Amino acid sequence: MSADTTLAAPRRHQSISRGSSIGLLLVALPVFLLAWLIVFPIFSAVFGTIFVRGPDGATAFSLASYRFFFTDGYSLGNLWLTLWTTAVCGTLLLAIGFPIALYLRFSQGRLAAYVQGLAIFPMFVPSIILAYALIRTVGPNGTVDLLLNSVGLPKLRTPYLTPWGPVIGLVWDNLPLTVLMLTAGLSSVSNSAVEAARDVGARPLRVFISIILPRMGNSLLVTASFAVLGIFSAFTLPYVLGPASPEMMGPFMQRTFADMNDPLDAMTQAVITFGFCLVFGIFYIRSIARNREARP
Amino acid sequence: MNRREFLITSSAAAGLLALPRFASAAAGKIDLYSGSDANIIDLWNNIIRPAFQKAHPEVALKVTDAGDNNGLRAIADRALAALKTKTDPQADLFEQFDPRLPAGGIDAGLWVKVSSENIEGYDHINPLALDTPYSLPYRGSQVLLAYDTTKLDAKDAPKSWEQLTTWIKANPGQFIYNRPDKGGSGSNFVRRAIHEVNGRDPKKFKVDNYTADYGTEALTPAWKLLNDLAPSLYDKGAYTSGNTQSIQLLAQGVVTMVPVWSDQVLQAIAQGVLPETTGLVQLGDLALCGGFSSITVFSNGANKDAALKLAAFMLTKEMQEAIITQIGGFPAISWDHISDDLRKKYADVIPSTIPTFPSGDWEKAINDGSYRSVAPGISRT
Repeated sequence: MSADTTLAAPRRHQSISRGSSIGLLLVALPVFLLAWLIVFPIFSAVFGTIFVRGPDGATAFSLASYRFFFTDGYSLGNLWLTLWTTAVCGTLLLAIGFPIALYLRFSQGRLAAYVQGLAIFPMFVPSIILAYALIRTVGPNGTVDLLLNSVGLPKLRTPYLTPWGPVIGLVWDNLPLTVLMLTAGLSSVSNSAVEAARDVGARPLRVFISIILPRMGNSLLVTASFAVLGIFSAFTLPYVLGPASPEMMGPFMQRTFADMNDPLDAMTQAVITFGFCLVFGIFYIRSIARNREARP
Repeated sequence: MNRREFLITSSAAAGLLALPRFASAAAGKIDLYSGSDANIIDLWNNIIRPAFQKAHPEVALKVTDAGDNNGLRAIADRALAALKTKTDPQADLFEQFDPRLPAGGIDAGLWVKVSSENIEGYDHINPLALDTPYSLPYRGSQVLLAYDTTKLDAKDAPKSWEQLTTWIKANPGQFIYNRPDKGGSGSNFVRRAIHEVNGRDPKKFKVDNYTADYGTEALTPAWKLLNDLAPSLYDKGAYTSGNTQSIQLLAQGVVTMVPVWSDQVLQAIAQGVLPETTGLVQLGDLALCGGFSSITVFSNGANKDAALKLAAFMLTKEMQEAIITQIGGFPAISWDHISDDLRKKYADVIPSTIPTFPSGDWEKAINDGSYRSVAPGISRT
């Protein structure tokens, strides 16, 4: 008996190590690409903004570009607008996406299929087309204005060229992913748990708060991180629908780099943007890791 | 065919397909780069290229979209480096570029000097269009004011800067221009304001006379002037994100007047984007800036001679009239060399002067200054 186990142990160990070496080989290429195309540029950007090459060609330690960014009211205004847009969009996405996801999770039939199709539809509309469509509908003298006018209601102030323009566009653009991820998260709520709660007399609100929400914490966090990462660096919608100033970080970085011909300041803005996204990236990775630990 | 043979033949075929890319500088194929809008690229691909290849079947023309002026500058930098190492720049001519860039290019001999000696038809060029001997003007356009004649009678249309600003303030919300870095119509409106506060003298601004002090001195009063106008603009100071978006707001009847590029607005009227009731007016005291687009030819390009043939071909009556009829641009040659019926049809927009504004460091200062000083200058709530 003891001889058997001593014999079996090394063989099993061997097969694991061979399997893991093949696994390592399989992930080597993506890991290498990640290191080369993402991790290295990040470090090079951080390094390049701290150790600045002077006009004489010598490299010297300087935080001047960061000092400029954080003392320049205009740059800070742009950062503030980006944070505001991200927070408003993230909240709206969860507020709109959650009810749709709940509906899709707990209902069957043709209507639910239509709703799902409609919720996923924006995924297939490129954002530049969406931007022009929004100008024609919610823009000045657009469809909404025409409809209001035809029933004798006053004109509304259009969100076009105000900070609310990009908010509407970004919420529409990110809704499909939010709904898909929340629906996936809701599938971890078992029908029997909900039915058991209903059997003991729980009302829908109580079921939502005590049964559904506790199981959704992780996927809410993941959904929010994804939405934030996408919105923070958005370019097309803020550029076409938003105000000239303050700008969101995406158009601001592009303008600084291409029009102002100022790679150092553009890179500094990128590093600062990356820093904010990193916080949400860490949230995402932690919740993924926690998920894996929890799995049997 | 076994697998081995298949692999050999297919890789050879793939290699052959890739060949023309490596040999893009082969003799007889002109490499043209453009940083202009889609309507200009379309003109080159659909009208000019077929006509040129019919007239000169021995040379082919390849038109590449370089994106914008920054894209062209990168290629020009590369060509200047290639000139120093005596290698092929892989480019023969630019569709529209300022030969003063890159700095030192003219002195190094990067651009071909054009004159009636090497370009047939050079003496037909409109004297207004001539800029430097290193660029060959081939089309012009100007920024005008387009307005809705159903809301503003043609006889009341503003004819001077003062009348224009008075009208804007008297009709709040009825005027808008785009961000100066996102299109020439708004940017030349801003430049007109800069001219206004600097004695209406375009000669004060040169590509190489920008200094931080002079910039502050010349631009600060213009920011004040534009800030003063801002509360009377559409939505108390909104700025569209491009030439097209301004035309769109005019077409939707949201605003009554916008600055526009002459070629874009004529095309928009011809295509029905803007109604026939659209009026066009130019300021009489000093026109809004515009300019002629000029071909520049690389002296070290592999197909310099063919490129010069193409440049001369652009000055032919056929091509100049195509510029008027196809894109609503101005001809670069004098109107005397254009057929009578076209001249009569466009009599209203034939310019007597076209002021211009230099690019280079001025452009950066104006664009950033406008974002920082004008756009956020007021509360819009």
